[in-house]
Amino acid sequence: MAVDTAPAPALVDDRARARHPKAGATYAVLGLLLVLAAVAWLGGRTTVIAVDRTLTDARWAAPTLAAVVVLGAVCAAAGAWMIAGLPQRRFKLASTAAVAAFVLALLFWAYSQEGTVFRAESILAGALFLSMPYIFGALSGVVCERSGVINIGIEGQFLMGAFTGVLIANITGSVYAGLAGAMIAGSLSTMLLALLATRYQVNQVVVGVILNLLALGFTSFMYDQLKKAEGFNDAFSMPVITWGPLADIPVLGPVLFQQKLFVYVGLAMVVVVWFLLYRTRWGLRTRAVGEHPAAADSMGVDVNRLRYWNVVAAGLLAGFGGAWFTLGNSLAFNKNMTAGLGFVALAVMIVGRWNPLGVLAGALIFGFTTQIARDLSAAGSSVPGEFLQMLPYAVTLVVVAGLIGKARAPKADGVPYNPGDK
Amino acid sequence: MSTQTETPAAGKPEADQSPEPKPNFMRLFGRYLTEANSVMVTIYSLLLAFLIGAVLLIVSDEYTRSTFSYFFARPQDAWYASRDLVVESYTALFEGAILNFNTLEQYQAGQAEFGNLLRPLSETLTYATPLIFTGLAVGLAFRAGLFNIGAQGQLIFGMMGALIVGFSLDLPIWLHLPLAIIAGGVAGGLLGAVPGVLKASTGAHEVISSIMLNNIAALFLVWALGTAFLHSETKPDLVSKPVDDSAVLPTLLSSLNPSLRVNLALVIGIAAAVFTWWLLSKSTFGFRIRAVGFNEHAAATAGMRIGSTYTTTMTAAGALAGLGGAALALGVSSGGITTNTALDYGFSGITVALLGRANPGGIVASALLFGALKAGALSAQPDVPVDISTLLQATIVLFIAAPALVKAILHLRTPRGGLVTLEAKGW
Repeated sequence: MAVDTAPAPALVDDRARARHPKAGATYAVLGLLLVLAAVAWLGGRTTVIAVDRTLTDARWAAPTLAAVVVLGAVCAAAGAWMIAGLPQRRFKLASTAAVAAFVLALLFWAYSQEGTVFRAESILAGALFLSMPYIFGALSGVVCERSGVINIGIEGQFLMGAFTGVLIANITGSVYAGLAGAMIAGSLSTMLLALLATRYQVNQVVVGVILNLLALGFTSFMYDQLKKAEGFNDAFSMPVITWGPLADIPVLGPVLFQQKLFVYVGLAMVVVVWFLLYRTRWGLRTRAVGEHPAAADSMGVDVNRLRYWNVVAAGLLAGFGGAWFTLGNSLAFNKNMTAGLGFVALAVMIVGRWNPLGVLAGALIFGFTTQIARDLSAAGSSVPGEFLQMLPYAVTLVVVAGLIGKARAPKADGVPYNPGDK
Repeated sequence: MSTQTETPAAGKPEADQSPEPKPNFMRLFGRYLTEANSVMVTIYSLLLAFLIGAVLLIVSDEYTRSTFSYFFARPQDAWYASRDLVVESYTALFEGAILNFNTLEQYQAGQAEFGNLLRPLSETLTYATPLIFTGLAVGLAFRAGLFNIGAQGQLIFGMMGALIVGFSLDLPIWLHLPLAIIAGGVAGGLLGAVPGVLKASTGAHEVISSIMLNNIAALFLVWALGTAFLHSETKPDLVSKPVDDSAVLPTLLSSLNPSLRVNLALVIGIAAAVFTWWLLSKSTFGFRIRAVGFNEHAAATAGMRIGSTYTTTMTAAGALAGLGGAALALGVSSGGITTNTALDYGFSGITVALLGRANPGGIVASALLFGALKAGALSAQPDVPVDISTLLQATIVLFIAAPALVKAILHLRTPRGGLVTLEAKGW
């Protein structure tokens, strides 16, 4: 199986130095503002960090002022470095450092209020769990879009998965049957998209949005109808899987080895999809079909057939992610319970640049944001809860605005392929 | 969705070009009925959607489902139960939307006034009014090749803008009411501008950014209703202050019967549709919108600025949706808005625009249809699940958006000009 996996030759000379005055100035100003604000308001406060599950007594109190000043300085320094000019290959490092320092400083600030404790293990474990719908949704999007079909309907597939998962679990009495049902439901709804996108060559953005509405209408309708009878929409819970002694390792144990099935499947799927896309014949063909279908066709790939089955398979992932909302959180189904997270997953896919590993990074960022927002609003932050709930959406907006210009979608993404008009 | 004609699928030369016998009316009519032209696709889409709705009603109803468990022993039970369920449900929708047969009997017996008879129609028009605005908001953007899913958020902002001007200023009615309506349009336009500016300056796709703004606007409303500035002074629950009397939209028919809620907003909505028609087909700006929507590269070559067209179109679209919000805040909900006032008008606007094929006239017609569905569903609940209106709407426009699917299901013929499909741009 000869598969070309060599990276494309670099188009930019990595050693060239470049200035980034705009980005640099932004980070420099943000960093300086942090330092000034910290000096003005944060004197005498402390931020308490606790390892709350494995070592219940371990607490570490850091002076907030010092921490924020140092981090603000790091952010400003990275900005200054960008203005002064830095090697091209260091740009990513500098911007990551600036953003990370800025976010960390904000965290130190947010958790410096009286009575708030940064419970490291609970928060990180929760963040990983909350990033799961993004991972499944975005991976589903990656598989679709890498093969050239835009899937705006992830939200609808989530709803179908969430609804069917809990319905099948109630009927059969088994959570795992529910999971299978959710996957099939997700797959059936992408099958409609696949059919319309390949055989009937309908505009995929329009159909995706309509499929979302259809899923919303269908699940809400069935929810009302089935509510009249008992035993169709009771909450089912899934066990937390504990990996024996591994679960007792501080920080790592609760985060990685004491989670529900979704987390393990999600992390495994990142690796599996990455491997399939970049290391197998199927992956090469899928990427080819997404970039240049006519070329793939001339090499004997049945473009529309491959797209069809890829989109159907992607529905399995999205449906599984949908089950996270009900079965994963031990909740009954409720109308529109996915609350737009399917679209956030789409943004995660763009942030991850249509690459499973990028998706993992993006999903973790969004999961972390959501978890922090929940934790702060539970701890009684001075920021209104509604604004904290806006955080994932606002971050999506910023990220999509900031990154899509640079991120490049698969070239034939959303373009129907008609073997006749080459 | 610049409505574009699509050439028939390749590889199938039209076989029925053979010399025809002389056409008579019935033959021509028959040909028309079996052809996938846009009128027949619309009609068949409606029929197919109601058929699918009927199947779902039967499948999801517990009693009817139970009659199917002994289907082979007594099939007539299942048949009668299904038939009664479907007929009753759709009759309930009709009675809530158009004409209530009970009231008609009472009226004929002299027990009810004429105004009572008009009530379902008034409700239909009331629910159709915001849909006209949001449908126009989505449709106008569609003509520029932009998919404005943010009408929901823009409507919410419009509601808040109109509300704030509506209760905080003390002016005579001829000044207060127009100002409050304009405030709604401005607030919606500001929110609508954001995805346009982002798309023009960074290339961020408007579908994602406007969805995010929908969520942000909904949460913002929840927060704003809790603040002392907006929160009602008399009621403890999450309701806003009422609008001053001088900013309330006058009702049109309440002299006949006080329960007829349809108000001036309907007239403004129709005026907005006429204005949008004029804007699109008679003005330079509209020409630019259509040119950019049809082919942005050609438009750019011709010297049009694509980015600024995106921004202005999205602002105008947001303003239209904002006017819809003003129609709610100053009309049916002038006693105070809640988080529930906006219902799903913004999302339904998408279906309205798709069914209306982004033409102002078509948008008004489909807003009336979906307004009727909504009025019917709201009055028929809880016997019929209220979401049947969303379900039917989505099914109808799914078929509208995929005429090839209707054509394949019903074995229709391809019309001479090809199938009319709807377009929006990808990433």
